[in-house]
Amino acid sequence: MATAPRATQPADGLRPVPRGGRPTARAGRTGGRSWLLFGVGCLIALAALAPLGFLVLEAVQDGSSTLRPLLFRRLTASLLWNTVSLTAVVTLFCAVIGTLAAWFVERTDLPGRRIWAVLVVIPVGIPDFVTSFGWKSIFPSIHGFGAAALVMTLAVYPLVYLPVAASLRNADPAQEEVARSLGLGRLQTFWRVTVAGARLAILGGCLLVALVMLSEYGAFEILGFRTFTTEIFTEFLVGFNSPAACALSLVLVLLSLIVLAGEGVSRGKGRVSRSGPLAARIAHRHLLGRARLPVLAGFLALIGLALGIPIGAIVYLVLRGGHSTLPSASILSAAGHTALYAAAAGLVATLAALPVALLSLRHTGRLPQAVERSIYLVLGIPGLVIALALSYFSERYAAGFLYQSATMLIGAYALMFLPLALVAVRASVAQAPPRLEEVGRSLGCSRLEVLRRVTIPLVAPGLAAGFCLVFLSAVTELTATLVLIPTGAQTLATEFWAFQTNLSYSQAAPYAGLMILIAAIPSYVLGRWFDRMPSRSGTAA
Amino acid sequence: MTELVVTGLNKSFGTQAVLEGVDLTVPAGSLTAILGPSGSGKTTLLRIVAGFEPADSGTVRLGERTVDGDHHERVPSEQRNIGYVPQEGSLFPHLTVAKNIGFGLARRERDGQRVDELLEMIGMSGLGRRYPHQLSGGQQQRVALARALAGRPGLILLDEPFSGLDASLRTSVRADVHALLHQTETTALLVTHDQDEALSMADHVAVIRRGTICQRDTPQGMYINPADAELARFVGEANLIPGVFAPTWVKTPFGNLMLHGALNGSARHDPDTPAVVLIRPEQVRLQPPGSVGLGLPGRVLDYRYHGHEAMIRLAPDAGPDDLVLLARAPGRIEFPPGSSVSIVIQGPVVAWPAAPDDELG
Repeated sequence: MATAPRATQPADGLRPVPRGGRPTARAGRTGGRSWLLFGVGCLIALAALAPLGFLVLEAVQDGSSTLRPLLFRRLTASLLWNTVSLTAVVTLFCAVIGTLAAWFVERTDLPGRRIWAVLVVIPVGIPDFVTSFGWKSIFPSIHGFGAAALVMTLAVYPLVYLPVAASLRNADPAQEEVARSLGLGRLQTFWRVTVAGARLAILGGCLLVALVMLSEYGAFEILGFRTFTTEIFTEFLVGFNSPAACALSLVLVLLSLIVLAGEGVSRGKGRVSRSGPLAARIAHRHLLGRARLPVLAGFLALIGLALGIPIGAIVYLVLRGGHSTLPSASILSAAGHTALYAAAAGLVATLAALPVALLSLRHTGRLPQAVERSIYLVLGIPGLVIALALSYFSERYAAGFLYQSATMLIGAYALMFLPLALVAVRASVAQAPPRLEEVGRSLGCSRLEVLRRVTIPLVAPGLAAGFCLVFLSAVTELTATLVLIPTGAQTLATEFWAFQTNLSYSQAAPYAGLMILIAAIPSYVLGRWFDRMPSRSGTAA
Repeated sequence: MTELVVTGLNKSFGTQAVLEGVDLTVPAGSLTAILGPSGSGKTTLLRIVAGFEPADSGTVRLGERTVDGDHHERVPSEQRNIGYVPQEGSLFPHLTVAKNIGFGLARRERDGQRVDELLEMIGMSGLGRRYPHQLSGGQQQRVALARALAGRPGLILLDEPFSGLDASLRTSVRADVHALLHQTETTALLVTHDQDEALSMADHVAVIRRGTICQRDTPQGMYINPADAELARFVGEANLIPGVFAPTWVKTPFGNLMLHGALNGSARHDPDTPAVVLIRPEQVRLQPPGSVGLGLPGRVLDYRYHGHEAMIRLAPDAGPDDLVLLARAPGRIEFPPGSSVSIVIQGPVVAWPAAPDDELG
């Protein structure tokens, strides 16, 4: 019998019970605890969508008679054109540069690729407004569409590079070989197999780029290019014209949601799956041959422009400034405030992400899905809009309560970066499946002991990563900070912005430098952590 | 060594009844396999015994202790003194092999002799400092078993522990596990959908179907004398042939075949009623045409060679036109498709009254 072909096809009558009733580990929890989880999850989802709600409420109250003339004017059309065309161009450039850079680093014998792999990512740790500040201080005359396209591409292409590099690293190298064996040439293979396989990663990166473009304020202000975001900011803080800011915000949110939806549609039903285990073997590296020098030159140019210019400019400005412009104790107090707000936001966002992650990973059904999606929807709401919505709310319904208070700023950060926290926390909760907790229980450990010895050790790195991610983003956040900064307080970003606006470049530079220092090291650590994730979940558990 | 007794167990999820009146006894020190297709409720049964799910009604008794029952407080998993080996092994990824094995032990025992002992038992001495992701699938599974055995549990629960392994590894890991369980005299409940695994490892096999146990028997009993035609097909390959009952035999297209239990009088059926007859492929003996014997003529439809044996599909000349017989033959004789053979049915057979709308095949 031991040698019988596995004739285990159940006979007709042994048909399985429909799957719905099966107690998978996901659906295993019942009772009071899960109701609490559902309740908390729903509350968090509501909080995440509240700003959008306030905005719509505000628009409804202003009425169409107020909004229509504000919306249907030449300014709106030209802003729309500026925003959309720049977003499209930068997204395209980033897709090309990010994908090519990832392919060269991951799949060719590019000399020094380990160093390049680090250098190529660093620009993402430099706030976009600092990058454009660096360019502006060296080339005071740059201005307009071309400048914005160039600077933003250099600042955000790593958002495409990172996911594509990860996807290439995990892709099955045999696919390319199969394509070659089927008669496809090198270029055709690159296009039809390599790029097609990394399609979802490229799309995901492009989505992030487009969303950043729609919500960016500082860089465009410095480069003198008007988009929806700069206009909203001006209307609100300079013109005190809140109906106009509100109307434009609605259009901006609509654009972002279109981008989100568009990514979902183009993603389609196509899935990139692989049959074997992850990274079954190391991919064969393509030999660059005579292309080696031009490619190296390209990398040098990219790093020089994306990293050399902003960093060089700041270092130069700080050195040139000497003692006279060296900031006093104020930089310390600004750094302190920055760290305090960012850390509090990191804590709040991570704690809020935890129940959502638990809900979406351990429960099936519409509600957990809806909760998770509504958090990701926040990606489509620019930080400025969240800040405006919160200040409207406080002004209209709470008699200014909390407006320009630390609580509100921290809340705004936490909301804005909740999706980031969720990504990290979700990945780490997935590292601790309920099955492991059950094994712990079966080995004689109480619920508390299992929490201490199994769940927390597994989830903690991800919680820390989520915290860091939010912390970093909050440290380098400018737009919402300018709107919501508590009276009398200063952060690195607002101090930098104040000096920059007065064209005191030398005085602004140390603040930019400190922001980069605070952000760069943790970004590197984080990058390493995310790199490790897929292989860990692929082999363990 | 603990006896497991499950009585009248019911469980449903929402409106879906998953287990209905399950009764099962696993004698102390023996291994019982629960065999069933996916979705039959076998994993739920295991999870209730483990204490991961509460039973709706019915009782689960471990030795002298009722751990889940209508009038008893439910004992939580950690106090049941069980070992649990899930499908994927589920080693703790943040702990080394030694720490995984020692997880359930008292603190002072965790670095001690017991862990080394278990490492040696699973043939992995010296690998204690590795992490789970540095192990092969078979090694992971053996560590999971050692971890479950470390605290000397009264009962060990194995939830399809071999299905993640590839075929060649599966056989050897199965043998290892069987030997270990035997050596430690641990009572074990194995859940599987693989009849080969159930028959080769277990002292008793219980087939679960639509939430109830429909037969519990030794592997031999289960294979030779299944309770009904559906079970016969589930446990191994089966030829199900139409026939007609006679006092101690059945009339079939292949002649009159003796019924199992005919001699001790346990086979009692109304004569002249239609029957479904089970003939296992190895009961079908083939002889090259023209050889001496009483065989019925037939034709080879196809021939699948497996080295040590061959599976042959035959169309007998007798019987309904679409009747196909599956035969198992030693691999040394070749029967090319299209060739004529003579067929002999060996040994007693099992038959059940045919339901009017029974489909055969």
